[in-house]
Amino acid sequence: MASYTYTPTPDQGAKAGVLAYLVISAVVLLLMMLFGLLMRMEQAQFISIGGLWFYKLLTLHGAGMVGIVALAGAAVMWHFLGQYVQLTQGIFMANLVLFLTGVVMILGSVLVGDFHAGWTFLFPLPGTSMGLWSQGAAASFMGGLLVIGVGFVLLHLDIARAIIKRYGGLGRGLGWPQLFGPDDGNAPPPAVVASTMVTIVNLIGLVVGASILVMMLVNLYVPTFEIDALLAKGMIYFFGHVFINAVIYMAVIAVYEILPRYTQRPWKSNKVFLASWTASTIMVMFIFPHHLLMDYAFPKWFLIMGHIIGYLNTFPILIVTGYGAMMIVYRSGIRWDMCSRLLFVSLFGWAVGAMPAFIDGTITVNYVMHNTLWVPGHFHTYLILGMVAMVFGFMYYLGKPDENAKDSPIDVAAFWGFVIGTMGFTMSFLYGGKEGAARRYAEHLPNWVPYDRLGSIFAMLLIASVLVFIFRFLGRLGLARRDYQRASLARSMAT
Amino acid sequence: MSSHMLVQMPLLAVIGIVACRMLPVRLQDSILVKVGGSVPCVMVALFASSYWMLPRALDAALNDPLAELAKFLSLPLLVGFPLVLAWRRLTLIGRGFVWTNFISMLAVLGWLYIVAPVRVCNSYLVNDQESAGWYMVIISVLIFLWWLGTLMVGGGMGPDKHDSSGSGTTLA
Ligand code: HEM
Repeated sequence: MASYTYTPTPDQGAKAGVLAYLVISAVVLLLMMLFGLLMRMEQAQFISIGGLWFYKLLTLHGAGMVGIVALAGAAVMWHFLGQYVQLTQGIFMANLVLFLTGVVMILGSVLVGDFHAGWTFLFPLPGTSMGLWSQGAAASFMGGLLVIGVGFVLLHLDIARAIIKRYGGLGRGLGWPQLFGPDDGNAPPPAVVASTMVTIVNLIGLVVGASILVMMLVNLYVPTFEIDALLAKGMIYFFGHVFINAVIYMAVIAVYEILPRYTQRPWKSNKVFLASWTASTIMVMFIFPHHLLMDYAFPKWFLIMGHIIGYLNTFPILIVTGYGAMMIVYRSGIRWDMCSRLLFVSLFGWAVGAMPAFIDGTITVNYVMHNTLWVPGHFHTYLILGMVAMVFGFMYYLGKPDENAKDSPIDVAAFWGFVIGTMGFTMSFLYGGKEGAARRYAEHLPNWVPYDRLGSIFAMLLIASVLVFIFRFLGRLGLARRDYQRASLARSMAT
Repeated sequence: MSSHMLVQMPLLAVIGIVACRMLPVRLQDSILVKVGGSVPCVMVALFASSYWMLPRALDAALNDPLAELAKFLSLPLLVGFPLVLAWRRLTLIGRGFVWTNFISMLAVLGWLYIVAPVRVCNSYLVNDQESAGWYMVIISVLIFLWWLGTLMVGGGMGPDKHDSSGSGTTLA
């Protein structure tokens, strides 16, 4: 049995590239949140922007958010993984350039070309606009996604190269020798295990996504090349679901790397940890049918698989991570600052956010709840209070002035504003869903409107708090590049 | 059609690969330097192989002896040969790019053949076209699985440094 002790490692500042990723992420995140607020206020009948703008904003918000959290997640992963393996700076920056190119294409498509078929570009909608947008606009949207995908393929190939070089194979990156053989305590650190998993699933997802995008582009211009709509939907959801799931697996690396620095307790990759990551590597690829439970045309076994794997995959990493974090924190006398608070609450957000999906993944429930606001209620919880909280925690960490720096009351207030705002905002979605409010409707029935109004107000609180986080980070950019001890040692350590 | 596209043409490229491998390493290196490095080699291979994916190129090869000659020359010389030259210098990123590009192109081309509303080659029947399409999709899936497998067990790295040559003998 391996014994685990904590070995302190020097605390490194972020490279300029990582900061570029984070700054862009912060700005775009804020902009997309404002777009979200506009949509929610439209549903609440506070403002009246009209259906066209609602769907344009919905398309931008969906594509923009998924893209930008992927970018932010990649920054977290790159920062920490780069301390174990040798990554290529040029590829990292090439990904950013391709990303921005794709963003410009998507913005052009939506803002200039009026494309508003949703970020899921579900076949055959992009090609059947009935005159509302041009072929060129649809092509520019799908082309933009394709360009962003190419950037991520390059990034993941570089990560695969680096991990294989250091550990001798992606199987070893997942710690298979220690998982299936005796645990000699030399398994790769959690950051490497998580990056390996993300790299495997994203490479597969992106190749599938690129294939369907190219096919849809061909179909757009030569419609006689018919695509099986069911197959297209399956491929799109496979790609989309893997990609958005992978985002939180990248960001959680911040938790694995930073929390132990506070309490000086190790977060080692033991057998249970490795087993859960390996299991999820496989399951994450078979879980997407839980979005398709209402498509009766799919074969039955396929939907049952979605149901079962959906149940199974909810837990391994979540429990291992949640339990691991408890073990790191329990009776450690940890000092709570903005970073440790946000990272800890992110696990809460992740766990709470997974529950509505778990419920909705049950076929009988799904018939009633799917396509209601219940679903946005689920993913906004785990993405905002889980994933985005991890990214802000990381930002606070990089910008922390010194080991014993105290947080100002404004930051602490913003933290609570963020938690309460998010909970209120997402509860309004969930409750609306329970009352039967359909998702993706610009106009709501009168009895749904009260929830929309409450939701808008909580969203404002949430955005105000995020503004504080972002300004604080931008103001401390200079510190973020330096190497120094940031984590305040737990009381039991700092004698 | 399947044997034309999926047996004869790949074998022609393999001839180029084998021929290049038989040259002494020093000669390979000096040719690589003369033609401008590995990127141009990959680009040439990419464009030449793309051309032979076009249905009308297949038709031309069957009807026009000149085009047939061009096929017999270009596939070994412009696809197999430059790929081997470049391969020795490519790291996993370059090789992965070639493989992922090749795999998605093969899969999409196969798919296009399966759903094409018309007969795309004058020389072949519609059902030929469809079965060739299915073979392409299946082959691309198999290649993808094999390639991922090599990553899992840790083959397929390519040379460690950009300026050193690998053996060029591993595929992944
Ligand atoms: C202040 C923060 C936010 C607000 C006010 C907001 C608001 C909204 C609203 C009103 C919708 C449409 C719901 C419907 O009627 O179907 C929506 C959809 C969505 N949001 Fe957000 N959101 C916020 C943050 C986020 C974040 C952080 C993410 C991702 C990380 C995100 C991802 C999405 C996605 C993927 C959709 C689905 C788009 C679609 O149905 O096509 N949102 N959001």
